[in-house]
Amino acid sequence: MKRQVVFGFIGTQLDATGGGAGRWEKWRPTVSLGMHEDLALDRIELLVDQRRFKALTSQVVADLKTVSPDTAVRVHDLYLADPWDFEQVYSALFDFVRAYTFDAEHEDYYVHITTGTHVVQICWFLLAESRYLPGRLLQASPPRKQKAGDPGSYAIIDLDLARYDPIAQRFANLRADTTEFLKSGIETRSAMFNRMIEQIERVAGKSKSPMLLMGPTGAGKSQLARNVFELKKQRQNLKGRFVEVNCATLRGDGAGSALFGHVRGAFTGAQSDRAGLLKSADGGLLFLDEIGELGLDEQAMLLRAIEDKRFPPLGGDREIESDFQLIAGTNRDLAQSVREGRFRDDLFARLNLWTFYLPGLKERSEDIEPNLDFELARYARNHGEQVRFNREARERFLKFATGIDAQWPGNFRDLGASITRMATLSESGRITTAVVDEEIARLRRLWTGRATDAGEDAIDFSALLGHDGAERLDRFDRAQLAEVVRVCRQCRTLAEAGRVLFQASRERKASSNDGDRLRKYLARFGLEFERCRA
Amino acid sequence: MDKQLLVIDGAQGEGGGQILRTALSLSILEQRPIRIERIRAGRAKPGLMRQHLTCVKAAAAISAADVRGAEPGSTTLEFVPQALVGGAQHFAIGTAGSAMLVLQTVLPPLLRADGPSRITIEGGTHNMLAPSASFIERCFLPILRRMGAEVELEVERVGLYPAGGGRIVAKIAPSALRPLALDARGERRGIGAEALVAAVPEHVALREITRVADRFKLRREQVSHRDLGTRTGPGNVLSVWAEFDQVCELVTSYGERGVAAETVADRAADALQAWLESEAVVGGHLADQLLLPMAMAGGGTFVCGEPSAHLRSNAELINRFDGARIGIRAEGRHAHRVTAS
Repeated sequence: MKRQVVFGFIGTQLDATGGGAGRWEKWRPTVSLGMHEDLALDRIELLVDQRRFKALTSQVVADLKTVSPDTAVRVHDLYLADPWDFEQVYSALFDFVRAYTFDAEHEDYYVHITTGTHVVQICWFLLAESRYLPGRLLQASPPRKQKAGDPGSYAIIDLDLARYDPIAQRFANLRADTTEFLKSGIETRSAMFNRMIEQIERVAGKSKSPMLLMGPTGAGKSQLARNVFELKKQRQNLKGRFVEVNCATLRGDGAGSALFGHVRGAFTGAQSDRAGLLKSADGGLLFLDEIGELGLDEQAMLLRAIEDKRFPPLGGDREIESDFQLIAGTNRDLAQSVREGRFRDDLFARLNLWTFYLPGLKERSEDIEPNLDFELARYARNHGEQVRFNREARERFLKFATGIDAQWPGNFRDLGASITRMATLSESGRITTAVVDEEIARLRRLWTGRATDAGEDAIDFSALLGHDGAERLDRFDRAQLAEVVRVCRQCRTLAEAGRVLFQASRERKASSNDGDRLRKYLARFGLEFERCRA
Repeated sequence: MDKQLLVIDGAQGEGGGQILRTALSLSILEQRPIRIERIRAGRAKPGLMRQHLTCVKAAAAISAADVRGAEPGSTTLEFVPQALVGGAQHFAIGTAGSAMLVLQTVLPPLLRADGPSRITIEGGTHNMLAPSASFIERCFLPILRRMGAEVELEVERVGLYPAGGGRIVAKIAPSALRPLALDARGERRGIGAEALVAAVPEHVALREITRVADRFKLRREQVSHRDLGTRTGPGNVLSVWAEFDQVCELVTSYGERGVAAETVADRAADALQAWLESEAVVGGHLADQLLLPMAMAGGGTFVCGEPSAHLRSNAELINRFDGARIGIRAEGRHAHRVTAS
């Protein structure tokens, strides 16, 4: 049989019953460890602050010796300035456990959790649960009626045992629930994204500090901020509301007023008091999207509001109090904005504590499929109609969506819109290859337009080259051809277009017949100048 | 291995602990390997408890036994004695066991050791669930001596449950036991009482012996009391005995919180009175303890009252070994005769 070893604190309350013979009539958890008929302990490792509890320690050790002569008792002097201080207790116990030489092959370990502060109990539990202390929990309970010699009862709790799996599972589920919740229930596969969500979950549950969500438009910052709010509501018991503001829409005089409120007469048109969005978010969460667009004055006021939880409204000197938590979103590189003097470095420093980068869809192409299913489910919820892809159609769309061609400049917002379009165009709930092909062509048209100057028309390569021809076009050629076609459309003649396109080489006199050079280029795609202008 | 393994059902009859101790003693005496199965089966906490393990350990120490299954909760124990070793032994057993039960286990075999033994046991001497040191001194050992045993027992310190701290020393010389017949009590020599208190007011002891003295019309010098101080205890033990030419009976009563000293005294006095009025020569506890020495002596007889389940299962166990047979038969209306042959 392995040696049985118990770790435990001397109970400075329960074990301290005074030195008289009457102590034997009281239940003392540590001494009772040596009195159980069915528990033969080989060793007890007693933790105690000996400076304060020397007499108590000698008595407990002596009494253990009497009741259980075969049990060796080792006393460890552990100084805890404040046994209710979590950090202190945990690090003291952690150090103790790390320094202890465990011989699990020959010894079974138990942690006596009946003595010590609640903080001690929690720390023991954590150490056992994380297996830093490779033992089971031992919980001693007093007898129902105290009587001399009755050691009460004890229970051994093995956190590794299968029957405690449901408890562990519940923790895991809870955790999965919250991370899944943060992901809006989308079973994302991107390891990077999932890791980030787990971090956000931990931060959101514990911290009240501002969070900064970076990432391109449509990456899901707004939805994530809303989910974080719901999580905080649950975990931190937030009583207030979720207030979302896109700073890009706050320009000019109205910006400060919208955020901080104003008093009547603060400026022309200020006919009554206005509370402002920061006040609306009191006790809740304020999501400032596109924070990089905020003016410098507003930035200064915002910083003050974050730090002091109070701020003066425009035109007023009676400060308004608002205790809100803040999430900022941006698709800009704020550090760059700071260097350019467009963003205050002190505000950036305040925001940059918990910064998370939400990758765009291109960086999370493995998440396209789960998002596709999510969007279909959402469509079904919103429209009461189940829509599914044909297998072939689904494969074709995914191949396109995850392919190198697909740009998804609006990221998940674009993907959602695309799927909603296909679902709407589906016939009797089936998205066919025909619907997918149409959608792919539509997306290409959209993206070609965006790829160049946003003000110009998109080049429809399918119209120009036919569907198959457009399919065969390399991305490299697509970009070049798009620019060539655009120039052709702006010029009246082939020669003029040639001059514009080859101007640089013309100036170096490296090229003479620009028109001919353009014709030959267009011919490679089976195109003529006039056709380009059509 | 010369002798065949004897398999014993540890759940038979009543006393799980008594069966264990008798089996250990006989195993050593006959140098016969035993396996006890189903130890204390059906109890709330089945299997061996620490108080049993202290006896197993002590038995192993005097017999150089190979032991398997000696751990708390074990329901099977294998015990293979290799020798019988007398000499000096020291056992510290703590709260979990009774020093007297350990003595009861090792004493019979040590009577057959090659040389004298000196056994020191530290632990409880007066425990509600075991014969007290006073009982062993006044009732059991005198009869054992008359059977030929050279045994001396000194209770150096009384140890009460749970504080313990008692200490006894037993000196045992190799002795051949002779059969003894206890057919009648003989002349009554007297009744006595002793009250022990530890960390309990002295008046408790005084009230107890006064009550006993009243009940049995005793003179002051026939009763006594002792204050054990605060070293052991708190506790209060009252022993009341009746001594006859052939036999002595002693009953023990333990003081409890909330129970008047007079009630404690009455309990003991009532029990003794019941024995006095019975046809039994030997009391119930003494009967249990005399079976093994009788079997060792190869003969002998006594008259007792209604045999307990304890006594019967103990007798059955002894009969499974090679020595003398124990027979129990009714004699008269309320008495039984126990015989070894």
